[in-house]
Amino acid sequence: MKVAMIGWEYPPFKAGGLGTHCYGLTRSLADKDVKVDFYMPKTKHSAGSSNKKNLVIKEVGETEIFPYDRPEDKELAGQFFESVYRYNNLVVEKVKGNYDLIHCHDWLTMKAGVALKEKLGIPLVLSVHSTEYDRSGWICPNDWFINIEREGMEKADRIIAVSHFTKGVIVDKYGINPDKISVVHNAVYPIGEGEKQEIVLFLGRLTIQKGAEFFLRAAKKVLEYEPDSRFVVAGMGDMLPRLINQAVDMGISSKVIFTGLLTEEEVRHIYRISNVYVMPSVSEPFGITALEAVSAGTPTIASKTAGFSEAFQNCLRVDFWDTDEMANKIISLLRYDPLHKTLAMEGKRELDLFTWDRVAEKTINVYRGVI
Amino acid sequence: MYFEVHQPMRLNRFSVFNIGSNADASKYFNNKLNHEIFEKVAKKCYLPTNDLLLNLINEFDGKFRISFSLTGTFVEYCERFMPSVIDSLKKLFATGAVDMIEETYFHSLSGLYDDLDEFEEQIRMHRQMIKRLFNYEPKVFRNTEAIYDNRIAKKIGEMGYKGIITEGTDKILGWRSPNYVYRPINSDIKVLLRNYSLSDDIGFRFSSRHWPGFPLTADKYARWISRCEGDLINLFIDYETFGEHHWTETGIFDFLSHLPNEVLKNKQLDFVTVSEAVDRYQPVGEIDVPWAISWADEDRDVSTWLGNDMQFACFNELKDIGKKLKKRGDDELMNVWRRLQTSDHLYYVSTKGLEDGDVHAYFSHYDGPYDGFINYMNVLQDLKQKIS
Repeated sequence: MKVAMIGWEYPPFKAGGLGTHCYGLTRSLADKDVKVDFYMPKTKHSAGSSNKKNLVIKEVGETEIFPYDRPEDKELAGQFFESVYRYNNLVVEKVKGNYDLIHCHDWLTMKAGVALKEKLGIPLVLSVHSTEYDRSGWICPNDWFINIEREGMEKADRIIAVSHFTKGVIVDKYGINPDKISVVHNAVYPIGEGEKQEIVLFLGRLTIQKGAEFFLRAAKKVLEYEPDSRFVVAGMGDMLPRLINQAVDMGISSKVIFTGLLTEEEVRHIYRISNVYVMPSVSEPFGITALEAVSAGTPTIASKTAGFSEAFQNCLRVDFWDTDEMANKIISLLRYDPLHKTLAMEGKRELDLFTWDRVAEKTINVYRGVI
Repeated sequence: MYFEVHQPMRLNRFSVFNIGSNADASKYFNNKLNHEIFEKVAKKCYLPTNDLLLNLINEFDGKFRISFSLTGTFVEYCERFMPSVIDSLKKLFATGAVDMIEETYFHSLSGLYDDLDEFEEQIRMHRQMIKRLFNYEPKVFRNTEAIYDNRIAKKIGEMGYKGIITEGTDKILGWRSPNYVYRPINSDIKVLLRNYSLSDDIGFRFSSRHWPGFPLTADKYARWISRCEGDLINLFIDYETFGEHHWTETGIFDFLSHLPNEVLKNKQLDFVTVSEAVDRYQPVGEIDVPWAISWADEDRDVSTWLGNDMQFACFNELKDIGKKLKKRGDDELMNVWRRLQTSDHLYYVSTKGLEDGDVHAYFSHYDGPYDGFINYMNVLQDLKQKIS
């Protein structure tokens, strides 16, 4: 079986779960004797090369756009839509060879995927890691993205959704037949435990979608009861200035550390030393970071609607807006050692069910259904 | 046949911010939810099953004989919300074909405390309750969820009971059959052992379409019973099996209504109450149970309530609070403490089989064991502050 896979990011340089997923998926597919050519844009950060026999990374052209960018970004100054079209056209030109199917990830390459399906006459599989509704935090979703997503979903032969939650969005908001959508939950390469400190961690893009503001509100409440606790907000994004102001206004800025963008090694380190991980996303199709935290022995409090929460049993769940309950659970984890210990232990055990090998297996089943 | 009838007193949401807020301790319990669930179960199970059993006893002229174990918390619900349930139980008892079994009033794990005085006290409370309602003193004891070990058996013997009920698990029987009466290694009473296979055919498997025995009919079941060897078969079942765990639509009531007739067709079979069973049969051997067993889960031990660190933490906290309370002597808080001892509170904190989302989730009103722990532990912390 030979697959032309089109992605946008690939470790070591990546901005989100899409890159992590593509990395784990392609490597495990290669191990299972599926030949994968992974097409991705050339960026100023060079892509990781593959040391796997069946996996080839092919960099195509250049673009500065990332899957989480918004048209209103100043740096892209009005070139946003053109660059997307230009890049998609380039991909269509460059993908050549004898493939059994095309596999695309999210909106950025959907146009290329649809065009290639028509040009080469082979099936199209589409993975949906997030939709425009998620990225906008369900506030003023942009029709331009939605139309691209809908066209891709309609023309794809099969869709892989990262959660039942996301499958629901694809059915309800895009009007897609549920029968052609398979749910494949994400996986993780375990990070390993470290020396724990009294740190409560948020890690993610600082965008409206990820809900860091709710994390800060919970922090304020926790600090009234547990004044020695510390809070770390790790990541970058357009919300950073607002979040810093929020921490100052609430008078907790001495207890909250904003790290900015972290390297992969720093990310692993912060997971290892944190005592509690909070993922208060407004909308979260899956949330691989939660699996990463668990794999570092860090109990996780996640949004009830996150794909992670539906798939993973050994975690605590909250409504993202219910910051009192979030604080209740953070304090409980800080105070009640047996709770922390049991969650960490049982969580790590449950991780055995979340391997990339299993993701690849389920993905191959989807492939088999279309070729 | 013996039925366990129990409802726990479920807790309100209680966050860490409520600890030390000086709220009244009675506010721990979620009266609204408890009322709703009780009323629902009473309508689906207690009332219709009581009626059916009464008709069957009358129809077979007292040859259909059964036993009940009623917990104190269940009776309190009846008296508060639906006295008609108690009335129908009294009518059943008045037929003379119904026996009452002793247990701890609060359906607690007090039998596992290092000191058995609280255990004894709760049995006494149950005894008074049964005396008050039925003017009767039970002869046979069954501990919470059939939890049993040598220590408990000895205590029950000392308290004057003739028999004790527990699980007929292979762990204690080995090659031996549960269909006989046994004697504890250290006490001169009789042990009735639940036939878990036949009991669970009704309790767990009745409506399972994947089970080879499906659909289970009364004549098929009576045939299985008639083929068993031994003196007696102990069928011990949750009362909520009828109409609640298995809905009316599954045919569970039809099954029950045909069962006496199908069984009594066999000349060698009859029904006895638990008291009659211990009077009629002599022990064929001894059982030695140094480690506690129960009828719960596949493990048939106490790991359902004491299987993880969270459960041990709550259990120890509960015991410590009790020691302090007994020195202090505050009746109201003592009563609250006892209601918190009901084993269900720890059952909700079990992490067993979590990934399969099994029976534990069905019975819990929490979003999983961790939620259950936080809530229960917060309540315990508040109670602790109230007495210090």
